[in-house]
Amino acid sequence: MSVNDQELEEFEKRARALLEESVTRIDARLRSRLNQARHAALAEIDRPRRAAGWRSFGLAPAAGVVAAVVLAVVLWAPRPGQILPVAENGASAVEDLDLVADGETFDLIQQGDGGFYEWAVAQADAGQEATS
Amino acid sequence: MSAFATLASVYNTPVAMHGELEITDSNTTTDSRALNQFLASVELKAFKIAQSALRHESDALDAVQDAMLQLTRAYAKRPAEEWRPLFYRILENRIRDMQRRRTVRARIMAWLPGHRDDEDDESSDPIAQAASDEVSPARRLELDEAMTALEAALHDLPNRQRQAFLLRNLEGMDVAQVARTMGCSEGSVKTHHFRALKALRARLGEFST
Repeated sequence: MSVNDQELEEFEKRARALLEESVTRIDARLRSRLNQARHAALAEIDRPRRAAGWRSFGLAPAAGVVAAVVLAVVLWAPRPGQILPVAENGASAVEDLDLVADGETFDLIQQGDGGFYEWAVAQADAGQEATS
Repeated sequence: MSAFATLASVYNTPVAMHGELEITDSNTTTDSRALNQFLASVELKAFKIAQSALRHESDALDAVQDAMLQLTRAYAKRPAEEWRPLFYRILENRIRDMQRRRTVRARIMAWLPGHRDDEDDESSDPIAQAASDEVSPARRLELDEAMTALEAALHDLPNRQRQAFLLRNLEGMDVAQVARTMGCSEGSVKTHHFRALKALRARLGEFST
């Protein structure tokens, strides 16, 4: 080992000791805040179980499909004597089914974004009135 | 001999595992107990690493807290031996996010009249800065000077060099563990570490002669 390497090694030892000392000198206030942060993080371990509720029983996919099917029936199924509604851009209402049958739809419902669905139903009704 | 050389050599005992015996909640699960023990063992060092990079107490605390939360949310179920590299990788990502955000904020704030860089800086509070141990004022001053110089030099290192140096010397990881944490080869770690050491030695040289 060269003199230069030895100097570097000695320097690193001193730097390490100083860093370790700086850790021991972290004051009580900061230690307390780090302690609080740790416990807040650990509280997250139990949170999903409590928040999951009925979803943890695997009902989410089934409920999502049910909700999507109900909406699809409202949007898609023609009333007796009525012509199948066509969207403004010319796309079939079958495409609406695709839109509402994906997995994200139910998440949107859960997040309280019901406005979109009210709007979609109103659009469908308006389309039916226009064609009748 | 300089303050750095004299004072640093006095403290050659390893840092105690902070919080190792602090588990008091008998209802905690095995998972959370193990995670609590792990987080307690790294939180002080993680804070120093974040503080070296960010040089701001609140930001450093936020970075550590975010890393703890993310580890707990996403990786609590992973094997315990994976927690350390994962935690430090998360922490480093968080530090970089904050550095980027700070750069952008500084550019914006520079345009505003009457802005001060040290706003919301709790480190200026002398009472808050009171150390938890008993050291004579003269020694404390010398120690503070040496630490301040080292921390300033660390802060000015490139991110990868600083990370390699601190993980080796503060967290006590070997080269392979640092490589895993940093997501690079062991050769790269050795290069980053050596360059950091040379740069620090060149800057703090007056302390060690």
